[in-house]
Amino acid sequence: MNINSSSENPRRILGRIARQEFVGRGQELERIILQANAVDPRGLLVLLEPSAGVSELLRQAYDQLFNRRSEIIPIYFAFTRNESTAVSAAIEFLNTFLQQYVAYRRDEPTLCHASLTLNDLVDLTPPADLEWVEQLVGAYTRQRFSNDDKALVRFCLSAPQRVPARHGRPFVMLDGAQLAEYFNGTVVLGTEVLRVFSRAGLSFALAGLRRQILNAAHDAQCNFEMLDTLRLGQLDPEEGRKLVEYVARRQQVITTEETRELLVQQFAGSPFFITSFLQAAREKNAPLASYLDCERVYVDELLGGHIHRHFADLLEEISSDADTRRALTRLLWEAAAGEEHTASFESWRKRLHLGASELQNVLHRLHVQEFVNWNGAVVEAGGGPQVWKDYLKARYRLDVADEPRALVVAEALADSLKRAPHTVARHFKQIARLSLRELLSGFDCQRVPESLFNHGVFSQRYRGKTAEDIASEVDSETELIKLPQIVHAASSTAFNPDMRQVCDEERCVVAHGFEEAAYTDAQEVVWLVAEIEAKLEVETELADLWCDRLDILARTAGFKRYQIWLISKEGFSIEANSLLRGRAAFSSNRLQLELLAARLSDARLSPAVSSEDVDEFMLVLPMGEDNELIAANTVEQFARRLSFRPEALNQIKTAIVEACINASEHSFSPDRKIYQRFRVENDRLVITISSRGILPTNLGTPKGSNPDRSEADDASDERRGWGLKLIRTLMDEVEFERVDEGTRLRMTKYVRHSSS
Amino acid sequence: MEISSSSAVRSHCVGTTAVVYASDYLNKLTGEKIERECRRQLDSGCRALVIDFSDTQLVNSIGISILLGIIDIAEKNAARVVFSDVNSQTVELFEMLGLTRHVVLARNEEEALSSLSSFVPPTWPTLH
Repeated sequence: MNINSSSENPRRILGRIARQEFVGRGQELERIILQANAVDPRGLLVLLEPSAGVSELLRQAYDQLFNRRSEIIPIYFAFTRNESTAVSAAIEFLNTFLQQYVAYRRDEPTLCHASLTLNDLVDLTPPADLEWVEQLVGAYTRQRFSNDDKALVRFCLSAPQRVPARHGRPFVMLDGAQLAEYFNGTVVLGTEVLRVFSRAGLSFALAGLRRQILNAAHDAQCNFEMLDTLRLGQLDPEEGRKLVEYVARRQQVITTEETRELLVQQFAGSPFFITSFLQAAREKNAPLASYLDCERVYVDELLGGHIHRHFADLLEEISSDADTRRALTRLLWEAAAGEEHTASFESWRKRLHLGASELQNVLHRLHVQEFVNWNGAVVEAGGGPQVWKDYLKARYRLDVADEPRALVVAEALADSLKRAPHTVARHFKQIARLSLRELLSGFDCQRVPESLFNHGVFSQRYRGKTAEDIASEVDSETELIKLPQIVHAASSTAFNPDMRQVCDEERCVVAHGFEEAAYTDAQEVVWLVAEIEAKLEVETELADLWCDRLDILARTAGFKRYQIWLISKEGFSIEANSLLRGRAAFSSNRLQLELLAARLSDARLSPAVSSEDVDEFMLVLPMGEDNELIAANTVEQFARRLSFRPEALNQIKTAIVEACINASEHSFSPDRKIYQRFRVENDRLVITISSRGILPTNLGTPKGSNPDRSEADDASDERRGWGLKLIRTLMDEVEFERVDEGTRLRMTKYVRHSSS
Repeated sequence: MEISSSSAVRSHCVGTTAVVYASDYLNKLTGEKIERECRRQLDSGCRALVIDFSDTQLVNSIGISILLGIIDIAEKNAARVVFSDVNSQTVELFEMLGLTRHVVLARNEEEALSSLSSFVPPTWPTLH
């Protein structure tokens, strides 16, 4: 084997672009390389969001592995629409495998692209491999004429297992596996692929649409303990911009910052659409210097270019019958354009004039492409990216409504042009806007000034003051509110699609949470949060309307206990505030929201305290044997760093002793350990004590309510009460909370110098 | 003056008063030892208890609850209890948990003994 590593000047073998131009998938590439090198063989399911693109990622992985010249032999195979049956696809796989194997063994990358027969490959096989390769080809020839398609498919797919261990370990990467299911014939190739590879004792990667791959893995009864998953979504805006820039440069297409931003947003960061679009611009020699330039190419693409072919092929795969496709186009477009997205299986069957099993096939394929959500009984249409909806609309107008092509083109262009500035503006607004979902997810039982949720009070208290003064005065507020722990936050449109008509998806959020992080019915609460679009203070009528909307949403969804929180950039009028108080709704303006976000992130990440100012230590002690004294003596050392007064030192020590006793006495800790974290900040010492072990269920039960309890039990509870009472009195801030599988107590003591 | 080291708790008697010394850390274990010693002294005929905290640097809530138990036992035996030489942090804790309502605090052992000697026991009504 040629050990001449070419890592300094990597050869491009299957990759279509240079490594440095391959953007946005660095981590995923590393992940695949790691998988290839894993000592224990494991499968990797690469689960794609539709149109996220994976081929170049796998080809780049191939090139890296090839250039490393290690014992890992990369094999890349893409299922294509050219192969019409499972048998022909499997034979193609065998051919590709042998070709790439020989190329690797001979260290001749050009062989990967040569047009070679099996006999050619045998001739090119290095002498060391000749024996097993000849056996493989001989066995294949016999199998080829056996009339057992399934056996032949399995034989071809299992070829990598026949490589003698001393010659290396093949790492097979299968691309476009979503196509495998559609091959005609009796063999379901996708399932066979997973069945063969998951039992082959070799690492492999199988990339395909997420819904389909997971289904296929279940159908093949894969051992999921031996499978890893890698999810591939669209690129984030920054990576998307980089991709547009690189591809445009490569394709020599003129772009501007504005058009690059538009393309990223219009295609929602899809590498597939972005690349196809820029390729089309190159083919048309069209500069993309303005929105008009872009939308012209876009409409051409929708009606006859790469994007058109992509969707047309998909529709053809979904249904090969032209009449059904027409009916399907109508049905899908009407669902996407109308308000009614859901319909029963039966109504689809009637509209498409299909038998149950035919419709099942169609729906399964639509579901896999995420154009619909289908759960067996109900079909929810209207999904898919904006490009798909635009394509569908054009197809509908041309094929179903039979409108003149010129009219469809003109209106598609006009619509795209009108939409373009809004698409970009929406993105910019999103950047400027705080993410409500993120904000809510950060609540985490923290205490924040109550005024941040009451615009009336906030406005009265701080109107006319500078931002610095407000921030500092808010910090010194003593009326605090303890926020719940949010466990799930989603757009209100996910609960009620009608909400789409009144707000942007991300501006109205439903957040499920628990107060005190106690997972009981009594503590469960749902926050309904809406950001109202208004340039001035929101008046009573609008505030009332939003409260009504959210009340209806809560009632429809069956939320037992909920909290409404309305947000408006400029806040609310005096009358509106009074109304909101009456309806027990929270209210905030933009500044309150920013102050809240800063305080939540302060508490979570402590950005106000630079890392140089913070020391954090961990101590793990076994429970019992007076080990609380070790904790007390340890904390004394940390406390001395902050120059606490002697009486404060003793208070901290006593508090920590009590906390340790609590942890020992009142948890069913399986490891009998107390975990302590000491955080020394500029002006405070924060101590967190935690232990594993669920609290006894009778904790919090009123004394005497349980007849089985003895006096000793009651005395013990009372004593526990003493411990907590002491802690609360001795420390400045105390948070005692339930967490998964344990308890956590956070105590803070502030330094108070004698002068203050 | 009698010095006893039973149960590893130092104690001695001055007349009918027992002086019991608490250790540096008053917790469940050391608290129970003090309690046992106090019971023993009361059973031997002591009519007053002085618990000396001069060595005590740290107390915990379980230790304090045991002290309350000792006060109860003493009351039942018609004996008085004085705590002596308690540092200010521990006094703070005793106050927080209401212990000081049931016990006399003395600056040191001498003051404790002297306060007990000036104490006139109540005259209990005789039952006929």
